[in-house]
Amino acid sequence: MKKLSKLLLALSFVLSITTSAFAVTVVSWGGAYTESQKLGYGDPTAAKLGIAVNWVDYTGGLSEIKAQKEAGKITWDIIDVYAKDTIIGCDEGIFVEFDFDKDFAPAPDGTPASEDFFTGMPSKCAVGNILYSWNYAYNKENVKGTPSTIADFFNTKKFPGKRSLYKGAMSNIEFAIAADGVNPGKGSGRVYRKLEADGGVDRAMAKIKALCEDPNGGCVFWNAGAQPPELLANGEVVMATGWNGRFFNAQMEGTPIVQVWDAQILDYEYFAMVKGGPNDANGEAMKVLREMTSTEGLAGSAKYIAYAPWRKSSIAIIDAGEPWYKDGKTSMVQHMPTAPANTKKYILMNPEFWADNQDEIGEKWEAMKAGL
Amino acid sequence: MSTEQILSSDGLPLEVSLKKAERKNKLKAVMLVAPLFLFLIITYVFPIGDMLFRSVDDRKITQMLPNTFTAIEKWDGKDLPDEPVYAALYEDLAYLKKTKTYGKIIARLNYEKGGFSSLIKKTVRKLEKFEEGNYKEQFIKTHKRWGQNDYLVSLKNAAPNWTFAKYLKGVDLKYDQGGKIIQQDEDRRIHKILWLRTLKVAFWVTIFCFILAYPISYLLATLPMKYSNLLMICVLLPFWTSLLVRTSSWMVLLQQQGPINDLIVFLGLAANDARPELMYNVIGTFVAMTQILLPFMVLPLYSVMKTISPSLMRAGKSLGGTPFVAFRKIYFPLTVPGIGAGSLLVFILAIGYYITPALVGGASGSLISNTIAYHMKSSLDWSFAAALGTMLLVGVLTIYWIYNKLVGIDNIKLG
Repeated sequence: MKKLSKLLLALSFVLSITTSAFAVTVVSWGGAYTESQKLGYGDPTAAKLGIAVNWVDYTGGLSEIKAQKEAGKITWDIIDVYAKDTIIGCDEGIFVEFDFDKDFAPAPDGTPASEDFFTGMPSKCAVGNILYSWNYAYNKENVKGTPSTIADFFNTKKFPGKRSLYKGAMSNIEFAIAADGVNPGKGSGRVYRKLEADGGVDRAMAKIKALCEDPNGGCVFWNAGAQPPELLANGEVVMATGWNGRFFNAQMEGTPIVQVWDAQILDYEYFAMVKGGPNDANGEAMKVLREMTSTEGLAGSAKYIAYAPWRKSSIAIIDAGEPWYKDGKTSMVQHMPTAPANTKKYILMNPEFWADNQDEIGEKWEAMKAGL
Repeated sequence: MSTEQILSSDGLPLEVSLKKAERKNKLKAVMLVAPLFLFLIITYVFPIGDMLFRSVDDRKITQMLPNTFTAIEKWDGKDLPDEPVYAALYEDLAYLKKTKTYGKIIARLNYEKGGFSSLIKKTVRKLEKFEEGNYKEQFIKTHKRWGQNDYLVSLKNAAPNWTFAKYLKGVDLKYDQGGKIIQQDEDRRIHKILWLRTLKVAFWVTIFCFILAYPISYLLATLPMKYSNLLMICVLLPFWTSLLVRTSSWMVLLQQQGPINDLIVFLGLAANDARPELMYNVIGTFVAMTQILLPFMVLPLYSVMKTISPSLMRAGKSLGGTPFVAFRKIYFPLTVPGIGAGSLLVFILAIGYYITPALVGGASGSLISNTIAYHMKSSLDWSFAAALGTMLLVGVLTIYWIYNKLVGIDNIKLG
């Protein structure tokens, strides 16, 4: 009898370990970015709160969490998502709605969170973590002259050679219409108004088609964020659009590439919390999220990658602590998409435009690509 | 006349006893098969059934906009509908807003026509300012799209509980406002191109695999054991390597500054500044896919060739045939079952490929499976993905059926 009860005890212990969620699972995009999150605020948060934080990679989109929800077995707590996904996820009831100032920590000087973050959130289920940028870069060993505007990216006479573009329409049609003479200003909505007007998207696509069909040009489409710097480094293309953080890390590794910030597309990245996630009811996911998005938390990730934190107070910490980059020599703020020198002309990503039009533009885009 | 009953040792009639034993055995057999049977149902029959169902099921939105759909049924789709449709729409949206469930119709309507997302959201936000009566005017004032016929036609098209619209979309057709089937707008006709491209890639990869695999298999089957074993390992080794690793290796080899291009330049076949493009076009797709799918052609061919006795060829030659005639009349016909099996395998696998072509095929590497993945992962239009998946499944079954008619499926030999 004694033996049996011991066995039962052991068994129940094993079961309790496997069924009770004891680590908070945070899902993000992998690579250098997840690394910066893990080292910047994941590990410090875990150490401070005594709650294990587990990082999982994914490739974006809400399909996996939707499938988990339909199957009734949710394993993710916090997801790093695009703005349009926070909107869709909030609409469909996948994510928790936040009470912003109550749920998130104020700045060290007591400013409530909603005022410390740069702008409002696209939905009630979103809390910002970084600002990143879609810009383009060139390999200075393979390009004669110095491209400096978005029009130069499309100028194959002056800068012959192949280009690499993102495989989807997003970012490409914005760049194209800006290169076609629509001045983006400082994040004014003009680019999207032109695209939304009749023939706007067609105009942008014609520009890209011309670039890809040009015998002096040509296009290679990339899928993963690591590809653009690689394609530049091995000389496969002379210019590539991509994410500024990835270009920055390649530069730090000694790749001879130069970033061009004219008409960069500023975009935001968010955390959302899964409703009914394994650590939702016990409040641990919320505790972790609060700690990670605190002033110091957000500033921490900028030590490892050139993405700007959302909080004004985090920027202040970085400014005071320069050189902030992990090598102890590189000042970070100038490499961020928010630096004044980089924001002379920029496009502010409009998630509502993409939520409305992604399917139709996607079809047109694929049809255009199919005709190349 | 009475026959004496035969009794078994325990006193029961033999017949009964026999049946009992048989039943026991049958039960045992069923129990043995049960796990596999359950496995098949859970992992195969059920998901495919669910997929078929999803592709035509459109009941959710009907339940969410019941009044609107009843009111819009009578509308002929020509001029803008009258007040009752807008009043019903108001009633439905107000209820959805109250229950906070309007998000679910947004995605659904946006698949029907782009722009519904912001239209519904803006309307729902302004709903409390609506006054009773004259809803049509108020809707149009809130957003001009409520005064555009296309949006209301799309709304009407979403009404039926069951729909084949997703299948039509899969072949670039759609319903017009009168419910007639018409062609998709010209700059959005993408799926026919993708279907044809997928078939073309699968066809050529099968041909290339056949051309390469036939001599390899012949060597495997005829060489002495110690060489053929080595060769077999060479064939199987890539088989055990991850698909992604093999694809990335091809990317390294085929790139413009890569080793194959270096070799071409070294041999003087091309100038250094005019290196041929071996990747990010169909060449890359063909090369990588052929290499990856080659074992699926080699193995069935090998297993068939192994059983062909070498004396048959000798007999053919001794009867006066040239080696070519002997090959054509004797050896080749005997390998047809292997060719059939290999081709069918390679073709069916190739038709569903998407990672490899997406990585090495450039703009031309987008196949129908990429579109399915896109609708599963990005647009979340699972019912369209299900419809495309069903069409692919039906296509594969058709090929199987044609093969069965032409060659006969009993003739197939996998090993």
